[in-house]
Amino acid sequence: MRLDISNNTRRAIAGFAVAAFTMTGIAACGGGDDKKGPAAAPAAAGVDGVDDGSPLTLWTRAPLELQAKALVDAYNGSHKNQVKLTIVPNDDYVSKVGAAAGSGDLPDLFAADIVYVPNWAKGGLFADLTDSIAKLPNADKINQAHLAAGTYENKKYVLPFVLDLSVMFWNKDLYKQAGLDPEKGPTTLQEFKDQALAVQKLNKPGVYGTFFGGNCGGCNVFTWFPMIWASGADVMNPDGTKSLLDGTAAKQVYSTWHDLQAAGAIAPGAKDETGATWVAAFQQGKIGVMPYPATLLPTADKTVKVGVGPIPGVSGGGSTFVGGDGIGVSKDSKKAQQAWNFLAWLMTEKAQVDVLAKNNTSVARSDLATNTYSAKDPRVSLINEIAGRADSKTPVAINFQQAFNAPGSPWVSLFRDQVYGNGSALAKDNEAITQVLGQ
Amino acid sequence: MTVRSLPAVAADSRPSRRRRWSSALAGWGYATPTAAFVLIFFVVPIAIVARMSVSDWKLFTGDRGWNSGKNFQSALDDRLLWPAVWFTVKYTVVTTVILLALALGLALLVQESSRWTGLLRTSFLIPSALGLASASLLFYALYSPQSSPLLGFTDKPISFLGTPVSALWSTVVLIVWRYAGFYMLLLLVGLQSISADVYEAARLDGANRWQTFRRITLPLLRPSLALSTIMCVTGSLLAFDQFYILTKGGPDNSTITIVQLVYNSAFQGRNDLGRAAALSILVLGALLIINVVQFRGLRGKED
Amino acid sequence: MYRIPSRVLTGALALLFLFPLVWAAVASVSPQGGTAQVHGWGLGNYHTLVHYQAGIGQYLLNSTAVSLMTVAFTLVVSGLGGYAFAMFRFPGRNALFLVTLAILMVPYATLLIPLYVLLNDLGLQNTLVGLSLVLTMFQLPFAVFMMRISFEAVPKELRESALVDGCGSFRALRHILLPAVRPGLVTVGMFAFLAAWNDFITPLVLISDSAKSPLPLAVANMRQQVMGIVDYGATEAGVVVLALPCILIFLALQRHYVRGFMSGALKG
Repeated sequence: MRLDISNNTRRAIAGFAVAAFTMTGIAACGGGDDKKGPAAAPAAAGVDGVDDGSPLTLWTRAPLELQAKALVDAYNGSHKNQVKLTIVPNDDYVSKVGAAAGSGDLPDLFAADIVYVPNWAKGGLFADLTDSIAKLPNADKINQAHLAAGTYENKKYVLPFVLDLSVMFWNKDLYKQAGLDPEKGPTTLQEFKDQALAVQKLNKPGVYGTFFGGNCGGCNVFTWFPMIWASGADVMNPDGTKSLLDGTAAKQVYSTWHDLQAAGAIAPGAKDETGATWVAAFQQGKIGVMPYPATLLPTADKTVKVGVGPIPGVSGGGSTFVGGDGIGVSKDSKKAQQAWNFLAWLMTEKAQVDVLAKNNTSVARSDLATNTYSAKDPRVSLINEIAGRADSKTPVAINFQQAFNAPGSPWVSLFRDQVYGNGSALAKDNEAITQVLGQ
Repeated sequence: MTVRSLPAVAADSRPSRRRRWSSALAGWGYATPTAAFVLIFFVVPIAIVARMSVSDWKLFTGDRGWNSGKNFQSALDDRLLWPAVWFTVKYTVVTTVILLALALGLALLVQESSRWTGLLRTSFLIPSALGLASASLLFYALYSPQSSPLLGFTDKPISFLGTPVSALWSTVVLIVWRYAGFYMLLLLVGLQSISADVYEAARLDGANRWQTFRRITLPLLRPSLALSTIMCVTGSLLAFDQFYILTKGGPDNSTITIVQLVYNSAFQGRNDLGRAAALSILVLGALLIINVVQFRGLRGKED
Repeated sequence: MYRIPSRVLTGALALLFLFPLVWAAVASVSPQGGTAQVHGWGLGNYHTLVHYQAGIGQYLLNSTAVSLMTVAFTLVVSGLGGYAFAMFRFPGRNALFLVTLAILMVPYATLLIPLYVLLNDLGLQNTLVGLSLVLTMFQLPFAVFMMRISFEAVPKELRESALVDGCGSFRALRHILLPAVRPGLVTVGMFAFLAAWNDFITPLVLISDSAKSPLPLAVANMRQQVMGIVDYGATEAGVVVLALPCILIFLALQRHYVRGFMSGALKG
């Protein structure tokens, strides 16, 4: 079957091409502009929004499954509106939201890792909640770090959903065996190193001093940044466009971890750990001390006797990464007022104390920091208190995800070189981060 | 449009004018669905992607006007581009060589028709019934650091997907398992088109098995080998599913392929459709060149 | 004399090929830590599948719907198209055929990004119908080619008599020629089904709503459970559910699968 391409055929193909190109004009016009803004402004229906039995959709990341389910169940049980929850694997969340945003298919409500919120607020993914938030009775007590992260051009777009704070966890039993005081955790970086080495010296099979996500940008932003903050330094400039991760405090942090690695005190799986299972080893009782997400206190308590303390800096201090997720109404929602009803409820004492605090999660309102549940467990009170400290921050940068969390980001290259390499590429890696931040 | 004159149909005399018209109309009628699909879902997207590659077209904001060459510049400046290219090429060469060698061996093994070889053939072909994503998920579980049956052999914990080298070879094993049967079948077709007389003549001339293989089988198998090579190279250059599922480009970005880079540019934080379009056009161009070169090179040796 | 060791060797090779599938089936019901089936043998992992988000029933339904739609669209379009190319002369015939084959030359990635935008504009984004239309397009080169040579392989006398007998070309197609090319249709349908059932990257880009994901996408998403322990048991169970229909179809229609390879042009 031989195919000669005659002139007529050529002309026909050309005709196809021309027809196609003109049609692209239509595709180009159908761009993003008509996709902005939900059907009705949330604030128009009053401070509580509308509860009329509408079905609402909510997306959240897998790490928050416990809290999200608890909140959604509590809301559904006490309201006419019914929220349908979709849990998305952590690694796929960014691309899934991006693809949905581009095609106008975002759910009514969606939570976002607080460090991505600036980027998505700028991208117009959220509905403007400034007026609605202003009407809330306790607006000034809501966690300012999260609110600030979700503010773009003076408009507020998100409320705190689940606060996730990083704190130092240690295994009380292993401490006792290593001759350390099980009630006292590390108060400086040096103590952290010493205590980890002490547990390592036990030489128990399968037990190691410490652990970290050796291939996980997000994990180490969460756990190492507070070490720098507690030392009085900063990680970026206020604009979030320049990286300061080559400062003296930062270098101390790197060398601490480098020494721990050299002494064999970090469990071997760390090098490949991309974040999927970085919390598992501690819960299995295999790790002495490591910085850890506070939301996992109840889970870890099931298998380990946990001691909790703030993350220390070089010479003391204590700080935490005020992370977790913010939640907002999406630009594509046709039920913004009903969605607001969920958010307004989220800020009430019922939701914050009876659901979140009950599950040992930090509350988002500072006036509720001391509540019945936190009173029961001094560790929880401590966590709430750390959240309010001056050195506890949420870093804000439009290109945060690309610079730090994305797989293979320059931040990952930086700390891997510091811990596993000889650390000589610090200036270059830091510059790479600045470049991505400044895009 | 003028109606082209029909070539004379063998036993018939000149077909009438009306017959030609109605034939052309009928032909177009039946071809319309095909034409519609091809136009709407293929030609138009190609034009769109061409336009995207020279526009400022972000995921959230849509088309915002011409961008001249900025997208191409940005794509070429990506610090992950050349490592991805290098890895993709490396992966392609390794996979193609191993896969085709094995497929050829399997084809030679089962070329005689018998119940036993029929059973063998089916066993080798069954992995091909699986989708690539399904096969990748299977191997993801097979390589799990916790419950893999392959771990029982040594005391040291083997990390199948944890280092760049092991991740590459683990993926190659997956692909070879999945596609060996497929290419075996392709080569079998070619083998079976070699008539027995040729072998007979060779045997009479006193050629041993190795000589027969080198001087007779291989050259006559050239078209099938050429087709298999082209398909394997193209498929490997465009690898995505297996790496997305097994490693997501890790560890340390060491297993990012070009298509993964395109996907990441479009949806993974960068959200820049224009840049992704520019990159995918570069891929298309490279692929066309490679295929033309292969085609010429492998076909030209014929006759 | 070499028979027995050679049978042992080749048998071992065959077993090596079959091992991963057998292992997946066995592992999906065997006890493993970190899954729903920690102690003893049982269907715990399959329970996980049923209760994950929309439930495996929904995902199976999605996959089946998409696959059947793709098969239907492909058969209709390529059946009519193959008929046109094989039996009629019309202006632009070669051009159209070439452009259809050209689809093979263009990588998926190059097409999926503009298709994402295009489906948006057509209102077909995030729909199973839109997904099926795109998958059909990807099948067209092979399908149209197969149908064209199937029709061309019909003996000339049959073709001539069908057209001359006074029935219109459509009736000829329906009553005489379609039955004659049935094997080709089965091959095309089978390839279209397998391709649609197993496609991963197309739904990844074009479907946002998890409840509408086809099965491979759903199983891939299912891997990451909360708090880090990857549920390998659920993955194994998912693979079994994914692979079983394909293997059954393949075994039943092996003949037609092989025919797809022997379609003449592959011999050079």
